[in-house]
Amino acid sequence: MLILVACKPRGAEIKIGVSAPLTGDISALGQSTKNAILLAQDEVNAEGIKVGDKTMKVRFIIEDDENKPESTATVFQKLISQDRVVAIIGSQSSKCSNAGAPIAEAAMVPQVSPWSTNPNVTKGRTFVFRACFIDSFQGKVVAQFATEKLKARTAAVLYDIASDYNKGIAEVFRDEFTKTGGTIVGFETYNTKDTDFSAQLTKIKGAKPDVLFLPNYFNDVPLQVQQARKLGISAAVLGSDSWDNPQLIKLGGDVMNGASFSNHYTPDSENPASKAFIAKYQARFRMLPDAAAALTYDSVYLVCKAIATAGKADPKAIRDAIAATKGFQGVSGVITYAGNGDPQKGAVVIKIVNGKFVFDSAVNP
Amino acid sequence: MDTIIQQLLNAAQLGAVYALIALGYSMVYGIIRLINFAHGDIFMLGGFIGLIIVTHFGGLPFCLVMILAMLLTALVGVTIERVAYRKLRNAQRMSVVITALGVGIFLENLVRLLIGPETRQIPARLPTGSVVWLQQHLGVFVTWDKVLIILISLALMAVLWIIVNKTLVGTAMRAVADNASVVPLMGVNLNLIISVTFAIGSALAAAGGIFYGQAYSLDPYMGIDLGWKAFIAAVIGGIGSIEGAVIGAFLLAGVEVITVAYLSSNLKNGIAFGLLIILLLIWPSGIMGKPLLKKV
Repeated sequence: MLILVACKPRGAEIKIGVSAPLTGDISALGQSTKNAILLAQDEVNAEGIKVGDKTMKVRFIIEDDENKPESTATVFQKLISQDRVVAIIGSQSSKCSNAGAPIAEAAMVPQVSPWSTNPNVTKGRTFVFRACFIDSFQGKVVAQFATEKLKARTAAVLYDIASDYNKGIAEVFRDEFTKTGGTIVGFETYNTKDTDFSAQLTKIKGAKPDVLFLPNYFNDVPLQVQQARKLGISAAVLGSDSWDNPQLIKLGGDVMNGASFSNHYTPDSENPASKAFIAKYQARFRMLPDAAAALTYDSVYLVCKAIATAGKADPKAIRDAIAATKGFQGVSGVITYAGNGDPQKGAVVIKIVNGKFVFDSAVNP
Repeated sequence: MDTIIQQLLNAAQLGAVYALIALGYSMVYGIIRLINFAHGDIFMLGGFIGLIIVTHFGGLPFCLVMILAMLLTALVGVTIERVAYRKLRNAQRMSVVITALGVGIFLENLVRLLIGPETRQIPARLPTGSVVWLQQHLGVFVTWDKVLIILISLALMAVLWIIVNKTLVGTAMRAVADNASVVPLMGVNLNLIISVTFAIGSALAAAGGIFYGQAYSLDPYMGIDLGWKAFIAAVIGGIGSIEGAVIGAFLLAGVEVITVAYLSSNLKNGIAFGLLIILLLIWPSGIMGKPLLKKV
């Protein structure tokens, strides 16, 4: 075994780690992450990456973090110390990216999270990047949509208090909605894995809000909307980018019609890069890519381009090349880093009409 | 006022499901002194069996779906006892408890492999319209499925009470619970009585699983948390006691809902379980439990 390892030509391929929720509560999103990685891997390897004077192939090592912070920490440790990857893509939920980030930072291995929007993920870190906007922007987008488009004066929020992302954006929304003159009449919480929300929703019903904001993952949201309607709540329902997965409609069905949520990109996009990606993804996996898939795909190209720019497969050099990225044209928008790991990107609002995600409006920072 | 009634109905629906699971824990403990930690997963399995029946035999009326799922889950429960517990009946208690945990993990992974890890729901088979009478007279908005789930659960509990207290099998069950070593000498088939107990407990859990899958949702790991809650309800009520399991279940659901409704949703589990610890300090063997007398 030892001899085999020693004989293997070193540096023939570049190893990039991926930490994704392949099982657990948001496993459907882990699947789209994996799909996007496989698609991008084949495309990149068709030509290879020019590293210095050599053309190299990339190999992605995809590990399951179960959407649990403690498992994510183990995955990061394994990818860095055992597989010796030059960069890590992941994880998806903010609570997991937050658990992996200190490890990547300490080991000086660049981390690119495709989908983690909580501001804390990159804060004070030099090796951690993301491919998406952050919640201080997203929360504002949803609050503005509620007051300007829906003319809401009162709002209620129900969110998972045990998850960084949900808690973060719920608080931003509360502050922004209040700033625009609205009143928060209900601010209720639950815990990850709860499935009965009727007590919180009954309380919210008594406060008669104009809108109900549910910044939770797509596996919980349909149950919440369904239980709200069964309790006689008729308020308009709003959500955030954590809604974007086919599972939302599969589980919720008709009950989701009429609800709106903020997102990173829209499958209706006219951008030629997005269109090409959507066509390829759909042909191979027989479903529309969600935003997490698009952002993961962008993260792969972002890292691969940085490797080519750096001219060597060295974590430190790759980090510097990522940090210097300007005007990277991704399928989810343009990525430019200006001094930190957060790109300035626009958001879209999507409305659910007859079980389809329909573009409503675009908001730029 | 209408909010209070609505919250009470929320608690009743949740409590009904807790009770259907708690009964299985309590009955099995009563009869063979085993804490069957696989029971939460039998509840999960019952829900998924219901889901499979509904998806493949779409035309079946709801009551047939329920009966079929309850029968199949009962069969699974009996098989588990036969295969995994019976040989260990006279081994130390800890061995069976560990086996039960193993069976539970096996069931979780089996369902995850066969059906997948995603959250699912049993398509609504009970009517989901609102109960107009309640809306007009009390201003309470409640849907028929919630009312029916509560009523059918109570009916199942009544049937169980009749079986245990008014039939020959029930008499034998109570006798085994009282003294498992003497009863076989009276010509009672001990293995049969234990199988019947597992069958009834599993069937009730399946009913709970189907209700839960329709009112809330299903996933392969749901049995862990709900199993714990039902187990705690059974202990609070006095494990081994049927009435106790039901009281404990409604009490737990009631405390949970009231905490969210009038205190804070952040404190739900903290306050609910804190109160239950206090209850146990007052009644160490549970509300309906008999203090354990050591026989010499």
